[in-house]
Amino acid sequence: MLSLEGITDSIHNWLNHALNPTLAMLSEFVMVGLCVITLFAMLGLVLIMMERKVSAYMQVRIGPNRVGPGGMFQTLADTLKLVVKEGLTPDGADHFLFNLAPFVVLSASMLALAPVAFAKGFQVWDLPIGILYVSAISSVSVIGILMAGWASNNKYSLLGAMRSGAQIVSYELSAGLSVLTIVILTGSLRISDIIQAQQDGWWIFKGHIPAIIAFVIFLIAVTAETNRAPFDMAEAESELTAGFHTEYSGMKFALFFLAEYVNIFIVCAIGAALFFGGWMPFHIGHWESFNHIMDFIPSSIWFTGKTFALIFVIMWFRWTFPRLRIDQLLNLEWKYLLPISMANLLLTTFVAIKGWYF
Amino acid sequence: MFLKKYISDIFNAVGSLLKGMRLTGFYFTHHKEIITQQYPDNREQLNLPERFRGEVVMLHDENNEHACTGCTACELACPNATIKIITKFDVTPEGKKKKALDTFVYHLELCTMCNLCVEACPTDAIKMAQTFEHSVYDRSQLTKKLNRPGSKIREGVE
Amino acid sequence: MMSANAVIFYMLSVFVLSAGILSVTSRKIFRSAIWLLFSLMGIAGLYFWMELDFLAAVQIAVYVGGIVVLIIFSIFLTEQSGREMQGPPLARNIFSLLAVAFGFVLTWLLIYRYGFHAGGRKFDPGVGRIGSQMLATDGQGYALPFELASVLLLSAMIGCIVIAMKTTKKSDA
Repeated sequence: MLSLEGITDSIHNWLNHALNPTLAMLSEFVMVGLCVITLFAMLGLVLIMMERKVSAYMQVRIGPNRVGPGGMFQTLADTLKLVVKEGLTPDGADHFLFNLAPFVVLSASMLALAPVAFAKGFQVWDLPIGILYVSAISSVSVIGILMAGWASNNKYSLLGAMRSGAQIVSYELSAGLSVLTIVILTGSLRISDIIQAQQDGWWIFKGHIPAIIAFVIFLIAVTAETNRAPFDMAEAESELTAGFHTEYSGMKFALFFLAEYVNIFIVCAIGAALFFGGWMPFHIGHWESFNHIMDFIPSSIWFTGKTFALIFVIMWFRWTFPRLRIDQLLNLEWKYLLPISMANLLLTTFVAIKGWYF
Repeated sequence: MFLKKYISDIFNAVGSLLKGMRLTGFYFTHHKEIITQQYPDNREQLNLPERFRGEVVMLHDENNEHACTGCTACELACPNATIKIITKFDVTPEGKKKKALDTFVYHLELCTMCNLCVEACPTDAIKMAQTFEHSVYDRSQLTKKLNRPGSKIREGVE
Repeated sequence: MMSANAVIFYMLSVFVLSAGILSVTSRKIFRSAIWLLFSLMGIAGLYFWMELDFLAAVQIAVYVGGIVVLIIFSIFLTEQSGREMQGPPLARNIFSLLAVAFGFVLTWLLIYRYGFHAGGRKFDPGVGRIGSQMLATDGQGYALPFELASVLLLSAMIGCIVIAMKTTKKSDA
């Protein structure tokens, strides 16, 4: 079977054989960069198409259906339109920061992609603090949003940015605490360790009650962190026109849009790695023959399936729930999610010490 | 009890959220429920809802007779001054003068399809039609005369 | 010919220093904050370069995610944050330059006299080790400072709540 791990290994060996180590490393940098940019573009196209179709079916509509078979090329056409559109910079804006902000947001999501394990042994950077790294980097995108909001010189943008900042900073707490439950159960922050620990069953089954509570809190918190409905206070079309990206147009707007969807992909990939074993096939305890059958499905397919299932759930949230008000939003975090996740953390610690997980 | 209320709040919230998700999930999996109509393509078998309101028309029967008495109730009911009724006086066989409709002028460009005129009409002379392709090249074409030429009031309608 | 390692180090250092200088000299307060952010990010990059992943992630989480966001929020809440600020008076400029020069000379002398040599003993910056060191009570442990810091933060938090709490007047009825 063709495994991605084998391909990367052979490329690495060949490069080191043909070039000196520095050049080999540089060319690997370039290749990884190209792969990530391609992945970004593909993800943007696929996820936006998916969102439009999902929203359409949930709202009893058909959705895009004219460009290409079943409307498949609609997002491509839209991208083309955005690329050729004029990227306007308002007169009163702080030009430098205004133009920098989309790149900060996009770079933050690009950096956060590094520890995501796409398949067995197929990972950009398996650093020993993977999970902590992701939650640290995800806070950088707040700065990009605040920058965009302030530099636009527009009251709606500023309000949207402020709301977004308050929201992301507060929901980061419960997202972090729910991630910690799995870290406690695994005893490692490294993503490959966390996935390896789920060889005999995914944490959502092995960790039973605490893991399920943590998973629900994680889903809610990451929905809020990616600024998606029902937590899209930062954009809030009905109140703030478009929030922090009101003044953006053309490609700069597209970058914000792309970053939003890539962020969804990243948080879902992390969620899949934590609770559903990432690329790990569905294994049950020591049923060797069953596990062996499951291993025939390639790990990349497992990863993609789980991640897209989680993305679908988050889209399902968006097209079902009404938006929260800003005070309800903060109430939910500080009065419900945070106390529950703290209690859950204690429960998990107790379970882990007693060894009451499978 | 504070704690009891807190916990029951959480369970109620989760329950109601799941209820909503069940409905959208049902729609997502049942594509037969889709109500979108691909308009220019299905012009032949267009399926308009019963209460769709396109424009005001006057009903004429096979003898080219209508039921409008020219009472101007619709003109008074209209919020936009869409309707202008011009009346004349007919002479009845007994030699009496009687008020009758001369021209029912209808400004489609001003109409909001609010249906108030139809509700105001005491004799059900007008109704809302389902036609909706009203685009024309000149605004003056939207000013219509609703009673047909040569039509007269039906016998027995007061 | 410098090794790639050294090139990366100098690039990061130039980035940190130039962002720092821009942060001090910028006339717009919001831009200063953003330059400060870049400077701190560069320092996190240096930590990554030294393979101190945990420290780097904490640097980003605390300084970028916490402190710079706080600074930006307070800038948002002040008036005239978009205006260009007046330059400081000449005397202040001169004394700041002098202070910088003295600080630089002092640091340089310290480093030069001490004569650091590369490649000493290896140390293990693993998260598990950091955690157990933080809570150890023996000679090398940091349990007491850790607890002191926790108590300080707790009291600060309670203070915040007390300040933010609405004082309900006792109703007459």
